[in-house]
Amino acid sequence: MSSGCVDVNPEASWRSRLHLDCAQALYVHLPFCVRKCAYCDFASWETSIGDPLARQYVRALEERLAEAADAGLMRCCKTAYVGGGTPTMLGASLLGGLVGKLRGACPGLQELTCEANPDSLSDEVLRDLVDAGATRLSIGVQSLVDEELHALGRLHDARAAAERVASAVRSGLDVSADLMCAIPGQTPASWHHTLTATMNLGVGHVSVYPLQIEDGTELARAVGDEDPSWNAPEVQAARMDQARDVLEAAGFARYEVASYALPGKACAHNQAYWTGLPYLGLGTGASSMLTREGYDRLRSLCTKLPDLPDGIARVRLTMTSSRFEFVHALGFDDLSYDIECLDESQAAAEDLMLGMRMTSGIEAGLLEHSRNVLGRERVDDVLADACKRGLAAWRGGRLAPTHDGWLLGNELYGMLWDLVKEGVQGLSL
Amino acid sequence: MSTYDTSHIRNFSIVAHIDHGKSTISDRILELTHTVEERDMESQLLDTMDIERERGITIKSNAVRVAYDADDGETYQFNLIDTPGHVDFTYEVSRSLAACEGAVLVVDATQGVEAQTVSNALLAMNANLDIVPAINKIDLPSAEPERVRSEIEEALAIPAEDAVCVSGKTGEGIHDLLESIVFLVSPPAGDAEAPLKALILDSYFDAYRGVVATVRVFDGRIRPGETLYMMQADSSFLVDDVGVKRPLETPLPELGVGEVGYVVTGLKDPGSVHVGDTLTYDARRTPEPLPGYREAKPMVFTGLFPIDNKEYENLRDALEKLRVNDPSLTWTPETSVALGFGFRVGFLGLLHMEVVKERLEREFDLDLIGTSPSVDYHVFTTAGEMLDIKSPQDLPKPEKIDRIEEPYLRASVIVPPEYMGAVIQLVIEHRGIQDNMVYLSDNSVEITFYVPLAELILDFFDQLKSRTKGYASLDYEFADYRPSDLVKLDILLAGEEVDALSFIVHKDKAYTLARGLCDKLKEIIPRQQFEVPIQGAIGNKIISRSTVKAVRKDVLAKCYGGDISRKRKLLEKQKEGKKRMKSIGTVDVPQEAFLAVLKVGDE
Repeated sequence: MSSGCVDVNPEASWRSRLHLDCAQALYVHLPFCVRKCAYCDFASWETSIGDPLARQYVRALEERLAEAADAGLMRCCKTAYVGGGTPTMLGASLLGGLVGKLRGACPGLQELTCEANPDSLSDEVLRDLVDAGATRLSIGVQSLVDEELHALGRLHDARAAAERVASAVRSGLDVSADLMCAIPGQTPASWHHTLTATMNLGVGHVSVYPLQIEDGTELARAVGDEDPSWNAPEVQAARMDQARDVLEAAGFARYEVASYALPGKACAHNQAYWTGLPYLGLGTGASSMLTREGYDRLRSLCTKLPDLPDGIARVRLTMTSSRFEFVHALGFDDLSYDIECLDESQAAAEDLMLGMRMTSGIEAGLLEHSRNVLGRERVDDVLADACKRGLAAWRGGRLAPTHDGWLLGNELYGMLWDLVKEGVQGLSL
Repeated sequence: MSTYDTSHIRNFSIVAHIDHGKSTISDRILELTHTVEERDMESQLLDTMDIERERGITIKSNAVRVAYDADDGETYQFNLIDTPGHVDFTYEVSRSLAACEGAVLVVDATQGVEAQTVSNALLAMNANLDIVPAINKIDLPSAEPERVRSEIEEALAIPAEDAVCVSGKTGEGIHDLLESIVFLVSPPAGDAEAPLKALILDSYFDAYRGVVATVRVFDGRIRPGETLYMMQADSSFLVDDVGVKRPLETPLPELGVGEVGYVVTGLKDPGSVHVGDTLTYDARRTPEPLPGYREAKPMVFTGLFPIDNKEYENLRDALEKLRVNDPSLTWTPETSVALGFGFRVGFLGLLHMEVVKERLEREFDLDLIGTSPSVDYHVFTTAGEMLDIKSPQDLPKPEKIDRIEEPYLRASVIVPPEYMGAVIQLVIEHRGIQDNMVYLSDNSVEITFYVPLAELILDFFDQLKSRTKGYASLDYEFADYRPSDLVKLDILLAGEEVDALSFIVHKDKAYTLARGLCDKLKEIIPRQQFEVPIQGAIGNKIISRSTVKAVRKDVLAKCYGGDISRKRKLLEKQKEGKKRMKSIGTVDVPQEAFLAVLKVGDE
């Protein structure tokens, strides 16, 4: 059933993941921040440190987790990710306790990442995370230039960020830094400084994203109708290219459009999202992707989930309960969900699209499976068209995105998603 | 002569310049005669098309019967025919008037006599109708009924001392208007026993009942079960049903002499009934048909292409169905390298074009591209032939052309004297030649001039409105053909000529237009993966250029857990947007690019 043994037939090996009846990855969401950043549109709310709601929320998370584990959903889980919000603002004991519970619920965990912000990543938090069994930290550095950090509404300055990252590296955890480009005040020189200074701190992983001005954020209100020059598409492209040059020169390999890692330091959890592996998400706004079989297992915990129509192969499910509802829920049945049902062809098109985010591109098993499900000729035509347009190219027997394909990802993903004839059905419960 | 009594019948139209309030007055009449109770009242009740209600305009005439209990104690049968006010639809007005004995001429108490007030009044006088002048919108603080009264007398030579002052909005004066109709409009004359003579003034297609015709009976009567003969079409049908609109269809045992109503023909071919045709008994035919209508001549031509070429046949069917009640619609097949198969469709004017395109898209669920409007050019070749050229792509090579003549209009603008200079300036800029200028009153001047139709359909009307702060009104009619120095302006996208973007333009204006068009297209065409040069050319000579820069990067969003659904939704939206674009070579071109020439000069 699960991976572990190498199948001779790559397609059969790919197909097996489409029927896994347990989650390969676990995500838990902590929707609390000391301050909401100007650009942020994630599910997070400002909360003071020590708010009893956070403690109650963690307790509710732990209860749901235990139920999911009892139902057998966690038994083949290999990676876990504690995201937010700002998990580190929970403080050492609460966060350490949660990480310990994750360890307990998922005996096969090989990677356990916790998101962190420099301002709340105390030595105490670091120590408790290590003790509880976390293996990896993803730190929201964003920039190492004070003026830029200030413009983004971050709580830390460059000196504090550098000091905290160095401390995290010393703790022995694998450390990743999140950096942001095309932000107010950034220049090629300041971006170069942020990139090199971050690497010099000893991190093994860097994620790089251009800032997106999302509707409804403080930043969007500040910017108004203008298209600020610091965020122009040309600037974004130039910064992304600059990051690639600087990071690759230092031995970092780009394994995904926005992710760079030293050998052995790629994030297994994030790769699960892009390679069709099922995952469970717990908490306000958290999303799961389950196979039909995994969904049926979840239904044993949540009787209000409907029976799937024939032909549905994959379910995407988002918990839409507020943090208060989440705290007061006595079980999965008390929570609300948005559900999307994908048939085999929709799931395959989605996997093709996600494969094109990765340097390794579309693996042989997925390609063969997609041809069977979506039609050999149609798939090959679209892929040939993507090559003709310079968005993708064959490398070592696998189709992978080109430089243009990465910069113009939506074009490429759009072509692949267009292989699907009908839109995805959704419902809210 | 029969003893059939028509003395209590009044057939009349309401005519006015656009926006002077015809439809509102109709609504009030329906209300006051209890044809429609107030609680069921929707505004613009006679405007049944969505487009008419949304835009607040009347496009199609609509006939409705109301019963009016007059002050003399008698009940009168009123057949009220609502008519369009826009100049594009003048022919609709003349069709309606042919079915009437009277016309209510509505004039806005704040605007006074405007260009179509004049042309509609002339139509009514030429049709020998009894005219009932009505001054509308007297509820407005800026109303000047006395000034307007003298304008009607001076400009139209219509006695207006008894003009009724009304407010369609409040209903004030509507009762007096109805009394005036009883007294001023003659009852119809006709012979009930003579062979049937009835005019088809309109028709529409109903999927279940076939073609339904609106008719005015001049002699004889129509009963269900009779076989009728259409004189122009030379064919017969059995009457399924007759009745009147009140405003819902109400079946009757017969339509008598002098009456207006509908006839259900049962004919399933939308093209089998011609508006303007005369109906008579198949067995006992009238010797002389009614005069019918002067055929409305299309003046503006545009290519209509389905975005999806598989819809070609559906577009043809849809045009056939629209022609049933819009006989002015004409078309011929057209092929474009860029857009595939479509039709070159003739329209009465730009509004007519917009309305038809919108109806095709809404009522028949078609996605269409319309190309730049053109007029009918007379091209004289060196070989001595004359060609009718309605599409720029049909224009012969310059060396084969001896001369080109283009249609000119005789247009009139009515405007307060302080805007005279602005109007004359505008006329000159549009290659117009002033003909005459007459003071209609102290505060209104009529300027008449000749102007190429091609100039008028671009931006003349918008410019006129903005330069006269909305005070000017315009009316026009075809004058003659005159020679002009015209050239074909081609547009190249990424080095390839796009036939559907070509345009015929006066040589002196070619450079300005080419520059404007290149800039406008640059705004309209979205950035593509590759740089797209846009060039304007006359023959082989490039006279303008602009460039759509290549898109360097699109949105890179995080794609973890829940982001994947979000990403997919974004891609689906992107796909919807692309569906509305046409791929020309490697370039995705939005629909509106093909009408960009109409937007040159807009901000």
